[in-house]
Amino acid sequence: MTMWPVFGGLGIIALGGVLAVAGRRAAWGERALTWCVWLGGFTAALPAVQVLVTGETLEWRTAVNLPGGDWVFGLDPLSSVFLLAILVVSAAATPYGVTYLARERGHLGVWFSHAALVALIIALGLVVMARAVVPFLGAWEIMAITSYLLIVTEHDRTEVRRAGLLYLVVTHAGTLALFVMFAIWSGAGNDWTFKALAAATPHLSHGTSLIFALATFGFGLKAGAVPGHFWLPPAHAAAPSHVSAMMSGVVIKTGIYGLLRVVMLAGGAPAWWGWTVLAMGAASAVLGVLWALAQHDIKRLLAYHSVENIGIILLGIATGALGSTYGHPALAVLGYAAAAMHTFNHALFKSVLFFGAGAVSHATGTRNLEEMGGLAKQMPLLALTFVVGAAAIIGVPPLNGFVSEWLVFQGLWGAGIAGGAVRVAVLAVPLLALSGGLALACFAKVVGVVFLGTPRSDRTRGVGEAPAGLLAPTAALAAACAVLGLLPALVLPALLRVGAQVASQPAGASAVTLVDVVRDAGRVSLFAAFIVMMLGVAWGARALVLRRRVVRRAPTWTCGYELITPRMQYTASSFATPLLDIFSRLTGVQTYRGATLLHTVSRDPVLDGTLAPLWTKGRDWALRLRAIQHGRLRFYLLYVVVALLFVLAYVVLWPV
Amino acid sequence: MNTPLLSLALVLVMAPLLPGLAFRTRALLTGRRGAPAWQLYADLWKLARRGAVYSTTTTWIFRFAPVAVFATTVAAALLVPLDGRNAVLRFGGDAVAFASVLALGRFALVLGALDTGSSFEGMGASRDVTFASIVEFGLLLTFSALAVATGELSLTGMFGAPLAEHAGALTAPLTLLALGLFALMLAECARIPVDDPATHLELTMVHEVMVLDHGGPDLAFILYANALKFALFSTLVFGLVVPRARWSAPASAAGLAAGLLASAVAVGVVESLTARLRMAKVPLYVFGSAALGGVALILLLR
Repeated sequence: MTMWPVFGGLGIIALGGVLAVAGRRAAWGERALTWCVWLGGFTAALPAVQVLVTGETLEWRTAVNLPGGDWVFGLDPLSSVFLLAILVVSAAATPYGVTYLARERGHLGVWFSHAALVALIIALGLVVMARAVVPFLGAWEIMAITSYLLIVTEHDRTEVRRAGLLYLVVTHAGTLALFVMFAIWSGAGNDWTFKALAAATPHLSHGTSLIFALATFGFGLKAGAVPGHFWLPPAHAAAPSHVSAMMSGVVIKTGIYGLLRVVMLAGGAPAWWGWTVLAMGAASAVLGVLWALAQHDIKRLLAYHSVENIGIILLGIATGALGSTYGHPALAVLGYAAAAMHTFNHALFKSVLFFGAGAVSHATGTRNLEEMGGLAKQMPLLALTFVVGAAAIIGVPPLNGFVSEWLVFQGLWGAGIAGGAVRVAVLAVPLLALSGGLALACFAKVVGVVFLGTPRSDRTRGVGEAPAGLLAPTAALAAACAVLGLLPALVLPALLRVGAQVASQPAGASAVTLVDVVRDAGRVSLFAAFIVMMLGVAWGARALVLRRRVVRRAPTWTCGYELITPRMQYTASSFATPLLDIFSRLTGVQTYRGATLLHTVSRDPVLDGTLAPLWTKGRDWALRLRAIQHGRLRFYLLYVVVALLFVLAYVVLWPV
Repeated sequence: MNTPLLSLALVLVMAPLLPGLAFRTRALLTGRRGAPAWQLYADLWKLARRGAVYSTTTTWIFRFAPVAVFATTVAAALLVPLDGRNAVLRFGGDAVAFASVLALGRFALVLGALDTGSSFEGMGASRDVTFASIVEFGLLLTFSALAVATGELSLTGMFGAPLAEHAGALTAPLTLLALGLFALMLAECARIPVDDPATHLELTMVHEVMVLDHGGPDLAFILYANALKFALFSTLVFGLVVPRARWSAPASAAGLAAGLLASAVAVGVVESLTARLRMAKVPLYVFGSAALGGVALILLLR
């Protein structure tokens, strides 16, 4: 197979964008957009699936008469798994976005937003397929700009514009680091293809450490790993929900892709890098979920969970890197495979959750958890899909989140029993477990406060089931989470191929451990099937027993107190406060307690606690320099004279 | 003879005896007679024949929660090497599956509690997830130490023959791990000093307050699941103290029964000696129990 189906598929998606613009006044344009994204996505996915199954790589090269050499695009297992994630999330996000924005149809924003989404999908596809620096950075930049345009879709609100600006600054800071990285890497040569970079690696004068430092900065900022996460929650909360899903599900994953690609091209990472990524991963996993617990804005909360999941992915990458460094190829393959699988899984379940949150805020007009409650009775199907997504993200069987976390745990434990210095990596296991426990607490809070109990405000009055256009994409992705959770062996061989490729190992290397993982994946399926079966059996037994008994309905038991109001329920703040109190300093939460009131305000320790004060201080210092800019010519002449004297003195005292 | 399945059957049958025995021990030591040790069997039988009253606030989640708690606890039992050698189902990293499947049950139970809209049950749910997240930290720390000690990634390896092989050389870390796991068990199974299963004051309860609205067969599912979880953790602790991998099958089964009873008696003794901690102190207790596992892990990594 050639690359042409991929290009053709992206072309069909582009055509969908054109049709959406052409038919912006009517519904047909949007229908055409959805069908084009589905058809194009399907076409482009075929070669990706084939590459993952067979392990062959595709390449397409064109000679362009520009600085930077040939433009090369390719498809290998690593690219394919990211491409598939992009296409799957896009296929769900497009119809969702059409329904989500339908209220505003005909306004400038809507067709523009659809067109920008199409451009983003294509740019994402090109980012993961580019095999040369110039097309990579070009696609990277288009991705950053279109993301910005999508984030500020609702630009009439101040906080949206602020979030967009922060995103724009941060993404360009990261891109700048990437420019420097590629410039150092390619050296004086004129060939800027990735192949040339790989060939140049052994000749780097200072080794690969500088490359990896810059890659960690640039790609880590894009991925939202602690401490580079601070732009992510405001940006993902400000965007429309289908864009949030794209951003959290796939856009930040390009940072992960970049790290993996750099590891591959450099043929392995230095030891310090593995330990740094391990620390970043553990910090992101624990702090991300801790900060998420403190949020009351449902989309900010989900965005902080992306930080957590990036942390889990980084733990996988760290296992892989450390495994390579310390000579355990099986560990390397397992770690990278775990990272790839969690990347894909997170794209699925985070989209489910953002779609669900979007449907809720669409219906109630608020993202504030404290104003919700009892929505499961009004939106039963949405509640069901959201619960499935929540169970997937907290990593419990029989869903897909468990499978990838299981792989990460196995990698870290494998490091622990491997012998040598790499054993210390096992210390990340309890932290990963802690983040899992905190995620359970966090999603118990979200599901409980949004969907269960009684309404806390009038916002939920008159809300009905989510429209099919929002519900169907959500449910489809939730079903995918269940399928991958029940049958991980379907995809595991392909993911191990990705891991082997990143670890620069032949596909069949170190067979014993890998075969065990595949065999064990079958047993995980068995276990998941047993859980489902037991649930069915117990549910059936309960129904059978209760059929012959009296089943009544009555108010909730309140210890005999009659005057119960919804305000007496546990709120999002009160639910999370015991946990946040334990980790007091780390959370950045301020708690206000009154006789009948508990109110918490969360600040991001990195953005509000560190960067913003630093910026203010720097600006204050800079402002003091203003005193010398007063517009009086004679003083400026004096400056010139003084500067000249300094230069003369310098030349006299330190002759060249 | 399939000893894993037989041991599973033994544990499933014996489980309701444990909470009763713990209460009975506690009652005897504090100078009361107490209910008979088999009280829970009678309770379960009574509840199973009752009808149900569902709050008008609740949805299917409330009805599903007890079923999920029961199903997940039984599923967790498959992974534990109850006969001291083999689990019914084993795979690399099944220790994570053990913790995760219990987490699924907890998630369902907590959602069921929040489904009632009761502030009491919200309180219990909030406390339960708070303590449980630290327990999970300690549990996986313990499993990590055992993985390092035995070189195995499954519970069958961590508590089975490989453990028995290494036990002689690892007395100090294994003692720490057994103590830590016992302390974690008290937290996970809602016993004193973390939670008092015998209390009837809603404001001070953790686990019991979450199930205030459950009755009839639903409550029976939850009570049975709790007893089973108690039995599973008891087996794990007992497995650390007395590795039975080399015992003959009948001796191992007898050992299992004796171990379960001993664990229940030990819990009863602890409960009669200590009072329960203030809520704010519980995280310290759980972190402290986890720290025992941490020390063991560092000893093993040294």
